[in-house]
Amino acid sequence: MPKRKLEPLPSAAFQILLALAGEELHGYAIMRQVEEQTDGKMRLGPGTLYSSVQSLLEAGLIEEREPRSETKSETKNGEDRRRFYRLTFAGRKLAVSEAERLADLLRVARAKKILRGRYV
Amino acid sequence: MSEKFYALLLRLYPAQFRKDYGNEAMRLFRDRLEDERGFFPRLRLWFDLVCDLTVSIPREYLRPASSRAVARTSAVYPGLYVIELEPLRLSALLSGGVVTVFAVGMVYAALISQAQAIGAKKYSGGLAGDGNKPGIHERARMNSDSGAGYGPSASVASSSGEASSNSNSESSAKSANGMIAKGVKLDDAERQRVIAAASIELRKHYVNRDAAALMADALLLHERRGDYDNVNDAVAFAGLVTQQMRDITGDRHLSLDFFEEPVPEQQPRTPAEEIAQYRALMKQKNCTFEKVEILPGNIGYLKMNSFPELAVCEAKAVAAMKTLNHADAVIFDLRDNRGGEPAMVQRMAAYLFDHPEYWYNPRENTTERSWTQSPVRGNLLADKPVYVLTSSQTFSGAEQFCYDLKMLKRATLVGETTAGASHAGVFHRIDDHFGMGIPEVKAINPYSQNDWTGGGVAPDVEVKSFDALDIAQKLAQERLLSGAGTRRH
Repeated sequence: MPKRKLEPLPSAAFQILLALAGEELHGYAIMRQVEEQTDGKMRLGPGTLYSSVQSLLEAGLIEEREPRSETKSETKNGEDRRRFYRLTFAGRKLAVSEAERLADLLRVARAKKILRGRYV
Repeated sequence: MSEKFYALLLRLYPAQFRKDYGNEAMRLFRDRLEDERGFFPRLRLWFDLVCDLTVSIPREYLRPASSRAVARTSAVYPGLYVIELEPLRLSALLSGGVVTVFAVGMVYAALISQAQAIGAKKYSGGLAGDGNKPGIHERARMNSDSGAGYGPSASVASSSGEASSNSNSESSAKSANGMIAKGVKLDDAERQRVIAAASIELRKHYVNRDAAALMADALLLHERRGDYDNVNDAVAFAGLVTQQMRDITGDRHLSLDFFEEPVPEQQPRTPAEEIAQYRALMKQKNCTFEKVEILPGNIGYLKMNSFPELAVCEAKAVAAMKTLNHADAVIFDLRDNRGGEPAMVQRMAAYLFDHPEYWYNPRENTTERSWTQSPVRGNLLADKPVYVLTSSQTFSGAEQFCYDLKMLKRATLVGETTAGASHAGVFHRIDDHFGMGIPEVKAINPYSQNDWTGGGVAPDVEVKSFDALDIAQKLAQERLLSGAGTRRH
């Protein structure tokens, strides 16, 4: 199995993984969740969002939820159906290790005292 | 008007991207248009879109063609950065360069400026923030029943829907704590108090008296020499002391743990109400036996999300195994299993042997209880091939099941390395925020010096846990077809 090239994990991709950590979401909800979790600093545009989603799908870090029958019948054509995404085990694992990496980084930053009491 | 304009802009993307995500992108744009009204929000929206187009259009063109074609099949590798060496236009290279610089800058800036925000918001909500809660419960439970359980209360909590969002492998919980801890800084007095209490607890409880004295003295010496003076972060301090104790004894079951939430002073005996609640929950959750079924090829499949209390769930366990009794191979799916009661772990294992087998439990001395109660009357599974599905979320008691079966060469583990938590040390509270895990018995591990504590159990067949069931099914089918279904003893 080829080795995945996920180092470093792009910021947007990591944010998407985090957004999906709680629940499965569709594109717009992901965008809003990322906005919320970064205090409005990161608003993913459609291109960036779906480009990242595609990369994450390819890497097996997220997956598309099977369409539910009721949503299918609700809409007249497939065009309007929202696609929901959720984390895979691999995605969750990667998010955890990325979080740990950041925690380590932060620990170093603290040790070097570059944050000068700004950190919690 | 805006919509038409954006639809035109979308045409700048490669056809494949438009086909795959054009509708979704359009929809996202419409949603934002609807939600963001007024001059400034609209201005911001268009500013966002311009940035977005600048970044993502070149990126999509640079995406390898093969990757684009298979974009929708999630099983295919690789993903993010492999660019094929096909001839590129100069303009593409230039824009690629600009995008790269921009993207690197963004990642870098985001790492620094948002680490704090991410930590505070998201880890506490989703990834590992609840990590220390089950920890406390688990430890508390261990305390109240002298280390007999793998923390069923914790596993119940996780099986009631939080399983996937709780990742409290010890290290991740610690990292998360480190990031969400609000002003958890230690002063000299607190460090001194913790070290003094820790040395006393070690001398009082650690299974090996000499090693206990060595560790206690070493910690006090470190403290006197001022080795902890700059370790103001509570999590780092706990980690350092843990490492120092392990360095002396090599015993990975020793730990000093920091809990952000106060640890209750005394554990009341489990009230009847709680037991009743537990029973009700187990009934509702079918004792966390999520699926019991026969897959094609007569392969039994059991998905267990914890090892619930034997006293409450034995009948369910027996019924589940009865359903699988005539299967030619069995797959235990422990990918969402967060552990539970060792007695249940051992009970389930009993079905897999036709004679009593030594069953290693890091929390117990060698006694008659350390043997599986095999053979089980009427059971036909003792010689059938067994596959256990694992993930990095497979935890505690579930890891014992994996570890022992692997050591006994009784099962093929398929999936990922497990979390690495054994909770073999008995919990001792030091103060509101610190506690220790101290092994009080020396369990005999006939297989290896270290069990799964810290490192987890490595699978025999390493695959993404998401794919583990498919792979295990294939392995089982191949094995059955090749006629090697019956295990040699």
